[in-house]
Amino acid sequence: MSHVAIVGVGQTPYRRSHPDKSSRELIWWAAKEALNDAGLGIDAIDVIIAGVAPDALAGEVAVDRTGMMGVGKPFIRVNTGGVTGSSAVFAGASYIKARRAKAVLVFALERMGQATSSQQVFNTIFDPVYEKDFPLTTITMAALRASMLMRLYGYTPRHWAEIAARNAQAARKNPLAHLHNDITPEDVLRSPLLAWPIHRYEACPMSEGACAMVLVDKSMVGKRKPAWIQGAASTSDCYAMGDRIRREGATLVDLLSLSMSAKRAYADAGVTNPVKEIRVAELYSAFSSAEAMAYPALGFCTSADGPRFVEAQATDKSLPVFNPSGGPQGANPVSATAMVRIAEAALQVRQMAGERQVDGVERAVATGQGGATQFSTVCVVGAKPNT
Amino acid sequence: MTDKRPDVYIEGIAIDIGWADATRSLTELIFSTTRRAIDDGGKSLDTVDSVVLAAHDMVDGRSLSSMVTGPAAGAYLRDETRYSDDGAAAFAAAVTRIEAGESTRSIVAAWARASEHDVEAVARATFDSFFAGPFGIDELQAAAMRAQAWIRLGGDVAARADAAQRRANAARANPRALKAGGRSPVASYPLKEADMPRFADVAVSLTISAEPSAVRVAGVGQSSEPYWLGDRKLGRLAGLEQAAQRALQEAGFGPAQLDVVEIDGLTLFDEAIGLEAVGMAASGTGLKFLANDPRSNPSGGAAAGYCAPAMGLARIVEAVMQLQGRAGAIQVPRARRALATGSCVVAAQTHTVVVLEAT
Repeated sequence: MSHVAIVGVGQTPYRRSHPDKSSRELIWWAAKEALNDAGLGIDAIDVIIAGVAPDALAGEVAVDRTGMMGVGKPFIRVNTGGVTGSSAVFAGASYIKARRAKAVLVFALERMGQATSSQQVFNTIFDPVYEKDFPLTTITMAALRASMLMRLYGYTPRHWAEIAARNAQAARKNPLAHLHNDITPEDVLRSPLLAWPIHRYEACPMSEGACAMVLVDKSMVGKRKPAWIQGAASTSDCYAMGDRIRREGATLVDLLSLSMSAKRAYADAGVTNPVKEIRVAELYSAFSSAEAMAYPALGFCTSADGPRFVEAQATDKSLPVFNPSGGPQGANPVSATAMVRIAEAALQVRQMAGERQVDGVERAVATGQGGATQFSTVCVVGAKPNT
Repeated sequence: MTDKRPDVYIEGIAIDIGWADATRSLTELIFSTTRRAIDDGGKSLDTVDSVVLAAHDMVDGRSLSSMVTGPAAGAYLRDETRYSDDGAAAFAAAVTRIEAGESTRSIVAAWARASEHDVEAVARATFDSFFAGPFGIDELQAAAMRAQAWIRLGGDVAARADAAQRRANAARANPRALKAGGRSPVASYPLKEADMPRFADVAVSLTISAEPSAVRVAGVGQSSEPYWLGDRKLGRLAGLEQAAQRALQEAGFGPAQLDVVEIDGLTLFDEAIGLEAVGMAASGTGLKFLANDPRSNPSGGAAAGYCAPAMGLARIVEAVMQLQGRAGAIQVPRARRALATGSCVVAAQTHTVVVLEAT
C-alpha cells in the first residue's frame, strides 16, 4: 500500500557554477518551487530532510544549516555520497510512514563548482594507503569497470558512444540540464580519452544546483497531482572494489547492491516484468558504460544480452525510455543527482516533464549510485498508489 | 499525529570512550563496539536488516567516510544510511524506520575521535565563511557567549563550583568514562577550566527493534533553531525546549516523573541550560539543579568524555544503562523513566530528545 506521494518538485537549473547565488539561495530557490508546486507553505511542513554529500566538494561545512527553513521543525542532514539525494527522500518517506509527519520537505544541494579539483576530492574517498596514490578517481574507477564489461560481455566503444549521444540529445530538451551538446556517436568517439575506454563525451559534467521535493501522506494528496512512491530500497556493498572483482555470483560489474535494491523495490511496487511494466528509467549513471552496467541489475536484460539491449533501443520503441532528462551526463550535481532522478521520474508520471515528457508513463524507476557503486538505491514511482 | 505506532525497544548497547588507542584503527573501534552491542542484545546479526549511522567526514578525516566505516558497523549487504548529524538524531530517524515497518531490527552507531582531528578547526569551519569565520569563532566560544547570555538573563551562578565538582565526581565514578588521556580545550570567558568538556575518542552502538524488551522508546521529539546566533535567544535553548515538549507529550508524562536526565551539553553551562530547557529546572536554576539533583547527568556528561557527533547516542546509552540497572557505581536507584538529549552544529542548532521507559 502506498502511503507517500510526491506532490511538489523544485529544481534550480544545473550549471558549472552559480557564482551569483549563495548556497542558501540555491536551497531556497528549489524549496520554494517545490512548495509552490505542492500548493503548500513552509508552515504546512512537519519535517525537513537535507542532503549534502562531501563537505570538501563545496569547501563549506554544514552548508545545509545555512539554508534553515521553518525554524522549530525537525531538521536532519543525510550524507551518503552519490545516493544522498535518494537517501534524503527515503528518510522523509519514513517519517510519513511512521506517522510522525504528514508533509516533509526534502532538499539536496551541490556546490562542487567551488572545489578546486573535484577529482582530487574524490580521490580522498579511496583508501589512503592502498588506493589513493594510483591515482584512483571516479573516472579511472569507471574505466576499470567499462573495460571489464567489454571483456566479459563484448561491449565496444561504439556501445558507450551510442548511449552517450542519446543522453546528450535528451538533455537538449531539458532546460535545467547543464550541457546541451548536439553530438553524435561519432563525436563521442572523436572526443579526447579521459581514461581508456572512456571518452570525454561519455562522462558527466561537474554541476551545481539544488533539488527539492514535497512528500505527503495520502490524506493530503486531495486534488494535487501525485507521483506515488510504490517501492523504495537501499543496499550497501563492501568497501574494497578488489573484494568484488571475483566475488562468486556477483562480480564488480554485476552491481549486487543495485540488484538487491531493485528486487525489494519491485516487490513492494508489484513489478514482476520491469521491461514491460516500467516506461521510464532515470538512472544515476555518471558514465554511459555505468548505464549499461545497471540494465541487468534492474532486470531489463541479462548481462550477456547487454550489448544487444543497447543496440535494440534505437529501433524497439516498446523498450523503456532511459534518462529522458539527459541523466547525469546532462547534469551531475553529485549530492543532488539521486534526488534529481526521483524528481524527474515523478515529473514523468505526473505528466509535467515539458518537452522531455514521454507518452503514457504510468510508472518510472529512479536509481542512485554512490561510493564507488558501494551504495545503491532504487525508487519506483507511479501514477497510481499500490493496491 | 494520533494514529498508533508500533512500540520500539532498545535491545543491546555498547559504548567505548578512550584516547589515542594506537592498537585499534577507527574501523576496528567501530567494529568492536558494534559487535558488543549486538552480543549485548542477544540477537544474531542475521536478524539485523538495517544500519543507521551518525558520523561526519570532517571528523573522520576523509570524504564519504561511511564507505569504509559503514561495513565495520554491519552495513554489508544491508539497508544502510548515514546522517552527518548528531547520534540522537540518527537514532530518531532509525526509530521511524522501525515504526514505518521498513526494518525489523536496526543497528544505530555513532563515533568520533578527538585524538585524530583538530576539533576546534572543524568547528570553526561550520560557521559562515564571511560573517563569522574571520572572527575565528568555534563551538566553544559560542558556548561561552551562551553562558554569558544566560547569566545576563539572571542565571544563578552561586552553585557553579558545586555543579562542576559533582560533575567531575560523577565522571570519575562512571565505569564507562574516559579514565586516562583526553584533552581539555581552552576556556573562553566566562567559562573556566572546570566547565569544559574532556575531549575523547567515543564510539557508541545499539540495536533497536519492535520486539518487546527491557527499555521502550516512549517519546521522540526534534526541533531546530535559526542559523545565525544573532537570531537566537542565546541564553536559552528554545529548540531543545520544543523537542522536549514534543517527546514528553508523546510519552504521556512530565519532567517530574523522570528518574534520570542525560543532557548533551558541550560545557557545564550548556548542561545547566539544557536542564532548564527540558523542564527539569526552573529558568536560571540549572546550575543549582546540576549541583544538587542526582537525577541530572549521573554519567558526568561532557566531563566523562566528549566528541561530536557521537554524544546524543552516548547519552541514550547511559540512560538505558540506568533503566536496565547496569550503570554500576553511578546507578540511580529504581530508575524507571529517563530522558536523553542530543544537539548538533551549528552551536546547537538542531536538537533531539528521546524519552525512555523501563518495561
